Amino acid sequence: MNYNWDWSVFFKSTGVGSETYLDWYISGLGWTIGISIVAWIIALILGSVLGVMRTVPNRIVSTIATVYVETFRNVPLLVQLFIWYFLVPDLLPDNLQEWYKQDLNPTTSAFLSVVVCLGLFTAARVCEQVRTGIQALPRGQESAARAMGFKLPQIYWNVLLPQAYRIIIPPLTSEFLNVFKNSSVASLIGLMELLAQTKQTAEFSANLFEAFTLATLIYFTLNMSLMLFMRLIEKKVAVPGLISVGGK
Amino acid sequence: MDFSGVIPAIPGLWNGMIMTLQLMVMGVVGGIVLGTLLALMRLSPSKWLSRIAGAYVNYFRSIPLLLVITWFYLAVPFVLRWITGQDTPVGAFTSCVVAFMMFEAAYFCEIVRAGVQSISRGQMGAAQALGMTYGQMMRLIILPQAFRKMTPLLLQQSIILFQDTSLVYTVGLVDFLNSARSSGDIIGRSNEFLIVAGLVYFTISFAASRLVKLMQKRLAV
Amino acid sequence: MISIKNINKWYGDFQVLTDCSTEVKKGEVIVVCGPSGSGKSTLIKCVNALEPFQKGDIVVDGTSIADPKTNLPKLRSRVGMVFQHFELFPHLTITENLTIAQIKVLGRSKEEATNKGLQLLERVGLSAHAHKHPGQLSGGQQQRVAIARALAMDPVVMLFDEPTSALDPEMVNEVLDVMVQLAHEGMTMMCVTHEMGFARKVADRVIFMDKGQIIEDCVKEEFFGDVSARSERAQHFLNKILQH
Repeated sequence: MNYNWDWSVFFKSTGVGSETYLDWYISGLGWTIGISIVAWIIALILGSVLGVMRTVPNRIVSTIATVYVETFRNVPLLVQLFIWYFLVPDLLPDNLQEWYKQDLNPTTSAFLSVVVCLGLFTAARVCEQVRTGIQALPRGQESAARAMGFKLPQIYWNVLLPQAYRIIIPPLTSEFLNVFKNSSVASLIGLMELLAQTKQTAEFSANLFEAFTLATLIYFTLNMSLMLFMRLIEKKVAVPGLISVGGK
Repeated sequence: MDFSGVIPAIPGLWNGMIMTLQLMVMGVVGGIVLGTLLALMRLSPSKWLSRIAGAYVNYFRSIPLLLVITWFYLAVPFVLRWITGQDTPVGAFTSCVVAFMMFEAAYFCEIVRAGVQSISRGQMGAAQALGMTYGQMMRLIILPQAFRKMTPLLLQQSIILFQDTSLVYTVGLVDFLNSARSSGDIIGRSNEFLIVAGLVYFTISFAASRLVKLMQKRLAV
Repeated sequence: MISIKNINKWYGDFQVLTDCSTEVKKGEVIVVCGPSGSGKSTLIKCVNALEPFQKGDIVVDGTSIADPKTNLPKLRSRVGMVFQHFELFPHLTITENLTIAQIKVLGRSKEEATNKGLQLLERVGLSAHAHKHPGQLSGGQQQRVAIARALAMDPVVMLFDEPTSALDPEMVNEVLDVMVQLAHEGMTMMCVTHEMGFARKVADRVIFMDKGQIIEDCVKEEFFGDVSARSERAQHFLNKILQH
């Protein structure tokens, strides 16, 4: 079997308009980054709220957060995506349903579903990290803040969270990287992100190995650069003499 | 919502679940074997072995599983043709199992490595002082202790893989999720079947992780 | 039996052992003492090559450790070692701890190994615990098992690395008793320990180390005899340790 290696394939025309395969990758990468950032913002905000809820001295509040985490952690991401994409729109009130199914173009509706899905899925994991971070702090911190007359929200906002976030930067980084990797499920509901464009390139050009090599390289580079970036941030926000950072 | 169509579909769903479990078990077993080898390479005194294993782990941990599944599905037949020189038909099942094994090995490697490193250095010294070779020390003394410690983590990772097997949807393999999707589509009740699928996955994963937690508590005592 | 010749060892730029030389003859009992961080544990671990060294050589029963052709596992199987933290294998029963190396390293049959192991367990007075796991034994009992485990290999020499310093005070003597008995039987022993009573009772020679160097290396009577004839650092150490 002879396979025609051709690394210049990315600069060739796809036969669709005047686009080259490289253009496909660029647009795919754009969607991947877009999905990931929006989903991450949702995850970070919701996850932090849930994480705080899990540590609050109130049974009902912490139970709500626990139920949320267990639910979103124990259902496969793909099932969740199908639920958001196929099932939830059917449950919407009629006028919203019409808007989602008819007025929105298919790409936008897929994008909406995937960012909501990924955001809520990741929030459960962020929640666990935030909770771990808060619980890792010495109990004396909360008592000291209470002794100074802070109210509970002030304790969290001024004392606990600023310390907890610093501790959990490494695990949060890996969650962020997971969002990038998980965003590839969007290809299964027809959103042309990086993986979908890779598949399409492989099929159109018959240069399967080149197509996937480029995709892995992009994911790999993205991962590594984000990791380095987060390490910089970690150093930047480190409190001198409090938490040891990187190095070792 | 009408769930009455679910009962007659149970045999089909059951077959799908068998497929899901097969994928998971083979992925876990292969992944642990390969991952242990990788961990031993990473911890070995040889710089080169350690670097190769490190590169493998870094590589597979930075790309999506879905990409690995898709790529292997398309590439394994090609590669086999190069090796054997003839058309060797490879089913989607085989390529998916290979993908899971190789992908999970990277994650299992890190678990095993941490497990081995958690065993005190004194144990290594004692084993060596009794005249054991590196291989005997690892096989008889270090790994048995490390595996005991990391069983909960290995099981948790297996539960994650149980959920992730649903990604074989992309190559059309009829696992549990896909059998639920198609059973639902046939009778026009895809939403109901989606809910059932979600509930089943939830129940199994939730129960399994509860068991792992119980076990962890037992081990800690 | 053991000949240590000009051993030098560095951790990076930091020199932990400087020109250490001494001889241990067959049947001799040597006690190595010195303040913590003096390099005494490191030196004794060099004898069975658990710690590598950069310069010098150690010859154990005719086998050179620095020689790259030496089969280290084989050499180690003939040198018994007892550790500060016992280092019994927690996943194995006491019997298995005593037999595993006999079977896997020396190639003895399971039966032979078990007989030998149980015999030694009897000798350290712990026969009743054969089927337990190490975690179920007290520290003193664990250390006695560890001594039996090392003896099961029929070693030509025994190394002890602070065998009593991780023990509660009331358990120190049960371990020292076993060691004294061993010394009386003519075992060649090299012991890193602070137990000066033990040194007085059975040692032939005492080595005092400080800052990676051997400062004193003399017969017991001399070491404990006229303290004022000792080096300043040894006097300082002895004063501290013998005060009570």
